[in-house]
Amino acid sequence: MPILNVQDLRMYYSTLKGDVKAVDGVDLEVEKGEAIGLVGESGCGKTTFALSILRLLPYNGHFVSGKILFNGDDMLTVDDKTFNKEYRWKRLSYVFQGAMNAMNPVFRVGDQIAEAMLLHEDVEKEEAMDRVRGLFSLVGIDPDRVTNYPHEFSGGMKQRAMIAMALACNPEFIIADEPTTALDVIVQAQTLQVINDLRAKLGLTMMLITHDLSVVAQTCTTCAIMYAGRIVEYADIDTVFSEPKHPYTKALIGAFPSIKEAKRELVSIKGTPPNLLDPPTGCRFNPRCPYAMDICSKEVPKFIGLGGRHYAACHLLTGGDA
Amino acid sequence: MRKMEGQEVELSVVDLQKWFPVRKSFVSTLTSKKTKYVKAVDGVSFDIAKGEIFALAGESGCGKTTTGKTLLRLLEPTGGHIYFQGQDITGIGKREMKDLRRRMQIVYQDPYESLNPRMTVHDIIAEPISIHSLADTTAEVDELIYRSLKDVELVPPEEFIGRFPHELSGGQRQRVAIARTMVMNPEFIVADEPISMLDVSIRAGLLKIMLKSGEAKGVTYLFITHDLAYARHICDRGAIMYLGKIVEMSDMDGLVNNPLHPYTVALMAAVPVPDPQIEKAKAIISGEVPTPIDPPSGCRFHPRCPKATDLCNREEPKLKEHGEGHFVACHHI
Ligand SMILES: Nc1ncnc2c1ncn2[C@@H]1O[C@H](COP(=O)(O)OP(=O)(O)O)[C@@H](O)[C@H]1O
Ligand SMILES: Nc1ncnc2c1ncn2[C@@H]1O[C@H](COP(=O)(O)OP(=O)(O)O)[C@@H](O)[C@H]1O
Ligand SMILES: [Mg+2]
Ligand SMILES: [Mg+2]
Repeated sequence: MPILNVQDLRMYYSTLKGDVKAVDGVDLEVEKGEAIGLVGESGCGKTTFALSILRLLPYNGHFVSGKILFNGDDMLTVDDKTFNKEYRWKRLSYVFQGAMNAMNPVFRVGDQIAEAMLLHEDVEKEEAMDRVRGLFSLVGIDPDRVTNYPHEFSGGMKQRAMIAMALACNPEFIIADEPTTALDVIVQAQTLQVINDLRAKLGLTMMLITHDLSVVAQTCTTCAIMYAGRIVEYADIDTVFSEPKHPYTKALIGAFPSIKEAKRELVSIKGTPPNLLDPPTGCRFNPRCPYAMDICSKEVPKFIGLGGRHYAACHLLTGGDA
Repeated sequence: MRKMEGQEVELSVVDLQKWFPVRKSFVSTLTSKKTKYVKAVDGVSFDIAKGEIFALAGESGCGKTTTGKTLLRLLEPTGGHIYFQGQDITGIGKREMKDLRRRMQIVYQDPYESLNPRMTVHDIIAEPISIHSLADTTAEVDELIYRSLKDVELVPPEEFIGRFPHELSGGQRQRVAIARTMVMNPEFIVADEPISMLDVSIRAGLLKIMLKSGEAKGVTYLFITHDLAYARHICDRGAIMYLGKIVEMSDMDGLVNNPLHPYTVALMAAVPVPDPQIEKAKAIISGEVPTPIDPPSGCRFHPRCPKATDLCNREEPKLKEHGEGHFVACHHI
């Protein structure tokens, strides 16, 4: 049984101009122990997807339809109180996008992390602090620094502390939203190493959200490519890079420079990502797709299996038949 | 004029320094402690040949932007010299600078900051045309504006001309910024992380627009970036900075495939590759870049360097040539 199973999820934001269809029909399965990369350009709905699962959507975000199963349990039938107490942070945890700059400057870093434990578990402060020290060494921070304030931490240390905080209540599943985007390349490599080690040591299941294909290529076991509120392709990591089937996946890989290849002309994708207030009809990529056919602007392509765990949503794969 | 491998030198920077005084607290003013400085750029030298695209790379805070702004004299250098087409522009006056302001341009990272939010696209591009008297009649001005919008592929121009910056996407704003720059026919452009705020799918298109229109006219570029993968595909040569100093300089192949300075080696090893089959990026050094106030003695990288010895602590290594056109500042090469 997958640890997370999301079926046809739709989450919209109400605005004065209408609904922003930020997540609009997402299917996704995550197996235990996997590290799945959720990749897409900014504004495609990655954060919204994560916030929906954690029930942390802002006030104007609303659930439209779909199912979220966690270890087979239907999350949408669990009331908020139970979800807050039993699930969020305890079983599913989250490293916010930009979290490293969101620490409260007036409290010691260690206290902020211990607080999460005290809220969810029946532990004494002393024991909680001991556990925080343990978490610090796990993420590679000197345990003596639990008494430091956030400003005494470098950027990389803050990000590790946020990871430690997400781990505070021993969750099974952790979603990290752009955990290295604000970091310089060497600190990014250090942080990704910490994440990889943790996964191995703790047997964590994880979802890494990023716009950076190279980060996913180097840390994840599977990959979902998201475009304009939908997943367009899903496969194990090697397949996504060696046999991409969706034109968007192919184009994104083509647009992404690698330092290891010979100098080449970089190719961009024509046009820009759509506004999700009024996304294109049919396949949302059709206005930018070099292979678009008549049907592409008329019908939403189905997410079809291509063998193994490889899925893509493109009319080309069904010969243009609906 | 100096020559580089038989090429004309467009820009030559010699021992450039830019220090910013650290704001003193009230108490330290009273106790009259010596003023401290952020040594943002501290003795940087390089030449760029005419028509070349030169990368200035390194982690944030290493002094890339300060170097770019100082060599355009948008900041006054603390020390050193800047030669543009053979002329020392370090001390020249306002009147002479006005013409240089047209010939030497900068494209910023955030186009939103560099475009006046209260001006239409038309006026944004018309402004430099009028300042530098690049056209005589309104018809000529409009023609120039239309042509420059077409050059950056904002077509049809009529659709964009009346818009304000907030009515444009990030990519479109950056195109307007480039149109405004290009309309002045600059000879040298500092491009300061021009794509880092844009979506991956549109970055290459923007680079092409910025670089291709210049290529035909022999424009020279200083491309400032923290993203080595882009530098690898766009630039001819480049320099790596660490704490206000250049540690290595070479053609891009040399930097990427044969890095010699331990810092460059660590930097290259840490760049993730969009290919799961390739060996993972590694952090081969620990810690983070220290502050440029009171930087480490000797080689500024020595406290983090796996090869560091006593010498590195004592003496600052000079940038020396190791192999043709490949310069490294390290005692242990
Ligand atoms: N609170 C909100 N109200 C209205 N629109 C929103 C809100 N938050 C995000 N959006 C919009 O929803 C879309 C998806 O956003 P997000 O999930 O943050 O994307 P990503 O994380 O992939 O960058 C974007 O178009 C964004 O502008
Ligand atoms: N106006 C300024 N006053 C004081 N310090 C500055 C100023 N501008 C930049 N700095 C400092 O100089 C160093 C180099 O900055 P910068 O040139 O912006 O680096 P980069 O562009 O490589 O990120 C940093 O430590 C930065 O904080
Ligand atoms: Mg996001
Ligand atoms: Mg900068």
